[in-house]
Amino acid sequence: MTAIQPVAALRTACRLGASESGVAVVVLVAFAVLPIFVSGYSIYILPQYMLYGLMAMSLALLWGFGGILSIGQAGFFAIGGYAIGICFKYVEFMNPAYMGLIVAPAVGALLAGVLGYFLFRAGVRATYFVVVTLALSIIVEQVAVSQSQWTGGWNGMYIPRMSLTFGSGTDISLFDDTPMFYFILCIVAIIYILLRWLVASKFGKVLVGIRENEDRVTSLGFDTSLYKTATFVISGAVASFAGALYGSHAGFVSPSLGGVLFSTSVVVWVAIGGRASLLGSLLAAIVVASLSNYLSALAPKYWQLFVGLIFVAVIIFFRGGVAGALSRSNRLRSDEAGRNG
Amino acid sequence: MLSTAASVLIDATLLTFTLALASLGLALIFGLIGVINMGHGAMLTLGAYITWASMEAGIPFVIAVLLAASCVALVGLAFEHFIIRHFYDKPFDTLLITWGFFLVTTEVIKIVFGTDIHNVPNPLPGSLDLGFQEVPAYRTLLAFIALGLILAIGVVFYRTALGIKIRALTQNREMASLLGLDIGRTYKLVFVSGSFLAGLAGALISPMLSIDPYIGMVFLVRAFFVVIVGGIGQILGGTLIGSFIIGGSETFFAIFSTQTFAQTIVFALAILVLRFRPQGILTSGTKS
Amino acid sequence: MVELLRTEKLTKSFRGLVANDDIDFTIEAGELRCIIGPNGAGKTTFISMVSGHETPTAGTIWFKGGNITGLPVHRIARMGVVRKFQTPTVFSNLLVYANIELAVLARNCPVRQRRARVLETLDLVRLSEVVDQPVGSLSHGQRQWLEIGMLLANQAELLLLDEPTAGMTAEETHSTGELVRRLVRDLNLSAIIIEHDINFIRDLRSPVTVLHLGRVLMEGSFEEIAANKEVRAVYLGEQE
Repeated sequence: MTAIQPVAALRTACRLGASESGVAVVVLVAFAVLPIFVSGYSIYILPQYMLYGLMAMSLALLWGFGGILSIGQAGFFAIGGYAIGICFKYVEFMNPAYMGLIVAPAVGALLAGVLGYFLFRAGVRATYFVVVTLALSIIVEQVAVSQSQWTGGWNGMYIPRMSLTFGSGTDISLFDDTPMFYFILCIVAIIYILLRWLVASKFGKVLVGIRENEDRVTSLGFDTSLYKTATFVISGAVASFAGALYGSHAGFVSPSLGGVLFSTSVVVWVAIGGRASLLGSLLAAIVVASLSNYLSALAPKYWQLFVGLIFVAVIIFFRGGVAGALSRSNRLRSDEAGRNG
Repeated sequence: MLSTAASVLIDATLLTFTLALASLGLALIFGLIGVINMGHGAMLTLGAYITWASMEAGIPFVIAVLLAASCVALVGLAFEHFIIRHFYDKPFDTLLITWGFFLVTTEVIKIVFGTDIHNVPNPLPGSLDLGFQEVPAYRTLLAFIALGLILAIGVVFYRTALGIKIRALTQNREMASLLGLDIGRTYKLVFVSGSFLAGLAGALISPMLSIDPYIGMVFLVRAFFVVIVGGIGQILGGTLIGSFIIGGSETFFAIFSTQTFAQTIVFALAILVLRFRPQGILTSGTKS
Repeated sequence: MVELLRTEKLTKSFRGLVANDDIDFTIEAGELRCIIGPNGAGKTTFISMVSGHETPTAGTIWFKGGNITGLPVHRIARMGVVRKFQTPTVFSNLLVYANIELAVLARNCPVRQRRARVLETLDLVRLSEVVDQPVGSLSHGQRQWLEIGMLLANQAELLLLDEPTAGMTAEETHSTGELVRRLVRDLNLSAIIIEHDINFIRDLRSPVTVLHLGRVLMEGSFEEIAANKEVRAVYLGEQE
């Protein structure tokens, strides 16, 4: 009796720990204590990858849960980056970073709302929508190049590090990497929690229904085009918000940030991590982007090819990505445990 | 005034045929199989690169072009046989997989040919003097080649037994198989032909552009809109009309701004067409 | 008896082909009505126009006194006209529970009561044992019942059932007939049922409308229809 109890407890702990929330907590703690052990370049670069992860989550919501693929998320990201940059140039009556962090998601949401409503209302096919998002990415890049009086054209735009101002005159400058690291970690964690909540809510369930069988959802009385537009708006806003933070963090934005290459990378990360998993997409973005950075110093040419091949393999064999494979094996394990224990 | 109008018209016409050439491959596959080949741009790029490499090796232009088109056709054949043909009933997956093809092919191109910008020498330099304007000789030749190709495909479609059966594919797949069509073999033939056309387009267009690994990307989007505007399934007339509308609009807007910005405006307009008339200009009937 | 649904001169033509021609049709609250007719008679087109999936070329549709002609599908569904499609249109990759839950979610049910409503509905369609199973493990007949369950959870007042027994075994067909009769009686629902299975229609003991070439050929009880020479020639005759 006494020997079995701790074993059963351990099994339950493993099962709980293997659930997404459990893993998320572990990851958060790991990141939170990281600056104690590591310093320098890693602390500098990781927030950028976390912001890529934020963009990946925006695609996971849209594609994994809504079934709407977009190969234009980088367009929103770039819009966010340029928005905060333009605010830093021209806004003086308040903290320009705050302004940018409001304007960026607002513009992203507006663009997504107009485009989404326009297309989804008319019942434009999902496959055509994909190509439209591709065109969107190209358009954003071209506008960034041509409107050089605002954007600096091909030369890009330099953006200062932001400070957090609190009414009473206290300023926290995020110029140093460590406070910036924690700031971005907090934001990413908060948005992750909000998105998890959204996905578990009625809205999320209807969205999944739309992904599974849109006709049935419409025939049950839901206006599916509204749900799809709303999802696109949220994903656009999140991606633009991430882009704004990136702009201030990296200090520089250029037209290629919104281009097809980057949009493609986001799709690849989400496919690998598991499109229907927020955490999977987030982590895949961080891991693959880190690896890309590291390995492109070693074997630049072959790494991207390798990623491309993995993408194809995932689409053909592992539709659920890493997260899907893990949850399947977890279910098998718990089924077995249920049978045995 | 008249000469400006005439020169705009000529520019538009030349661009129309270039676009038509670049879009035929996509139109064929999209219209007959219903697959949006997201790798179309990469096939075009590959055709351009193989042409360049062949000419660097001393092969004359005409042979280089045919070689490039054939190589791309072979690549398309391998891709179709080993991968794509298992996914014809899942349009979303084919979109993703052909996109994966684009990714992999582009990286292979970068590895094999490097990322420096290359140039293919113009095989027909100089221009024709039309009195009020000079038109580049090569681009004019290209226009005629494009026209010739469309006519040739037209003959195959409308005058041969194979063509009639293939056209039946767009109407009704079951009917087509009842008419004795081997669906699997036909799809293969269509996909390979579309790949050949894409490679051919890339090869023929290569002297007109600086070649980098991503030149095909914009052609993919333009080709998609050409097919949407012209009408899916209207492979010949639709491609021509779609190319004329897209190409003509680009030329028109390029009067007021840069070529790339004109493209942007045209994309935005094409999205409008996509929403209001997704069946295209030529197809009649309502969207159901 | 209260009139629930009425169509006046309902017509639908597709590029020259007339699928429904001047159809006048009425069904009362609490009524079960079968629509039969040979293939191509226009039965599914008729249902599609009532549910909003097709827009009529001419004519009007009245539901509970309101004009619903040409309204979008989701609005008509909200009013209580919910359709079951020819091929079971359920969420095949989700669990049975989630399927019914979505139907419940469409109806502003307070969170606390949701689970109860889902289980209640599954009980009505005799699918309580499979609540936690994926739809993939259900038989074809069970999927049809699941879809009917969704209509119930969706608070449908008028069920549009398009060939509910297609692909079912004789036993399942019999159960479906009982299920439909029970639901109509106990929950005071109404239903329009398109069917081909003669035994099913006979067991239902409900009035029948016969469509032929897009027009109403005849209406009456099953016995009257079965005895009518014209109907036999056009439809039942083909079966023998």
